[in-house]
Amino acid sequence: MIFAEPVIRPGGDRFVLVQFGDDAAIELNFLALGLKAALTADRTTGVVDTNPSYNSLIVEYDPDLISHDDLLVELRKLCNALGQVDTLVLESRLAYLPTMYLDPWTKEAIESYCEKVKPREFDPDFVVRLNGLKDRRQLVRVHSGTEHWVISVCSLPGLPLLRPLDPRSLLTSPKYDPPRLWTPPNAICTGGMSTSVHTLRVPGGYNLIGRTPVPMWEATQRMPIFKDSVVLLRAADRVKFVPVDLDEYLDVEARVKEGTYQFNVTEYQRFSVGAYRAWAAKQDPLARF
Amino acid sequence: MITVVKPGLETSVQDWPGRIGFWEQGFPPSGPFDSWSFRLANLLVGNQPGDAGLECQFMGPTLRFERDAVIAVTGADMAPTLDGGVLEMWRSHAVKAGQVLALGPARKGARAYIAVAGGIDTPPVLGSRSTFHMAGIGGLDGHAIKAGQTIPVGKGKGTPGRRVKPDARPALGDSRTWQIEAVAGPNDDWVDEAAHERFVSVDWKLQARSNRTGYRLDGPEWTFTERATNKRPEHGEHPSNVLDHGYPVGTVNLCGQTPIILVVDAPSTGGFINPYTVPSGAFWKLAQAKPNDIFRFTRISVAEAHELRRSIDRHCTLDSLE
Repeated sequence: MIFAEPVIRPGGDRFVLVQFGDDAAIELNFLALGLKAALTADRTTGVVDTNPSYNSLIVEYDPDLISHDDLLVELRKLCNALGQVDTLVLESRLAYLPTMYLDPWTKEAIESYCEKVKPREFDPDFVVRLNGLKDRRQLVRVHSGTEHWVISVCSLPGLPLLRPLDPRSLLTSPKYDPPRLWTPPNAICTGGMSTSVHTLRVPGGYNLIGRTPVPMWEATQRMPIFKDSVVLLRAADRVKFVPVDLDEYLDVEARVKEGTYQFNVTEYQRFSVGAYRAWAAKQDPLARF
Repeated sequence: MITVVKPGLETSVQDWPGRIGFWEQGFPPSGPFDSWSFRLANLLVGNQPGDAGLECQFMGPTLRFERDAVIAVTGADMAPTLDGGVLEMWRSHAVKAGQVLALGPARKGARAYIAVAGGIDTPPVLGSRSTFHMAGIGGLDGHAIKAGQTIPVGKGKGTPGRRVKPDARPALGDSRTWQIEAVAGPNDDWVDEAAHERFVSVDWKLQARSNRTGYRLDGPEWTFTERATNKRPEHGEHPSNVLDHGYPVGTVNLCGQTPIILVVDAPSTGGFINPYTVPSGAFWKLAQAKPNDIFRFTRISVAEAHELRRSIDRHCTLDSLE
């Protein structure tokens, strides 16, 4: 549910959190991204950085350039100007990520957890069972059969937080408890109602289902795609996971290493929230493909 | 050029204000934890206040200068020596090629800063030379300095013999108790009145498992409002769970029952509530606290937090030197 008025709360002397609602309705993220785009277009003096999440946008400001009170006035003005969520049209690129589902590297991380922390069901089978899928093949079909929406790039450099746009592809699963001690970089994992691509070898809680050979970021900006930004994705982009086998995975990995890999990111589309919501409302979430 | 003889416990290149504007790509600001001491070190050697220098944590490094230089050491007292003789802190010094600067364990405070005229000249990444070791970017090869490495220094001319006036320095006494300012929010409505009362009235002890990412505190149990205990399932099970949201730098992140103050290298988002946030003007105290020190929190308003930061900025000018 969308709040009648966004709730804005302070986070110390340099941040405010703008909340558009209290639940995980994707419309709330669209509004957060709408405000983010409006702040960019408006070039609001003193706004340093913004970071969207499920239902909120955190705004970092420089109090030497804009007072807290003036910032609140500015944010309220821009929120009011957003209008109805269905009128939003967001810049959205589409990135295709070759993905090896059920790959040997995430399998090793799961086995290591079972051995050193505690035994658990193999992650893909766990997700299959909890979501009433037929088998691992259907998991791949359902997960790769939708565009995934980039809610936010957050927590770790370049890490996208993703939600499936097709209601028939929604998968839910609880996170690891206790968390995994390590996750292979570029692992694709799912937890709660989201998917994420791990960008560093760090602990994690999402269920591992695959891995991409394509990097989400490159600090050295060696490959042309990273020329303007060290990270591949930005909020409001879409991701399509394209299943590949081990041979193709290794081939792409080798080309990434050489720096000759051609990224597949298209930029000609814009995302109409109204058109999407009208289409999504007609889908039966239980009609898996 | 400087050769690392001994690296110290964890010494890294940092600049101020750090890597700003990349929170939306998952990069924290990094930068010097105690930017007050850091900026004064730079001013002493004739640099811009934000030029890159070294942050030394708990146990300082031993460095050999390969060229003549002007240097200053500020922040925690690590009993610095130059070729074995005492080197006065908060003062600029000329050093000759071949001389060795050695810092020991921190006697007062926890983090010392070394500035060199011309600044440390490692390549900037995303507009900053600050080291963010978790991603391996900035500084020297993305990590804390190691023995045998060479640290490049830019061209600069400093004046030896300048001092920071005593009243312009952060007060690092013998007390192991710190008064830390905190602003309520963003999730102050998730904890109840009793929790708010406890937050500002009890002693919180800094755990040893604390670093530039987070400061873990030991203290009493938290109690919650209906907002936290009776909520939609997507927020998670524990009262401290919330749908992932952005974290302010300095926020008091309630992870289960453990408050963790998220500091300069912290993650940008996550799924725990943040009842309070430590404002930037109080960061120098966090930076100079040691494990087992006691934190006592004082609640201040946003306006007071802005004034607190300005009062520190006023110390970080050439007027503070003599």
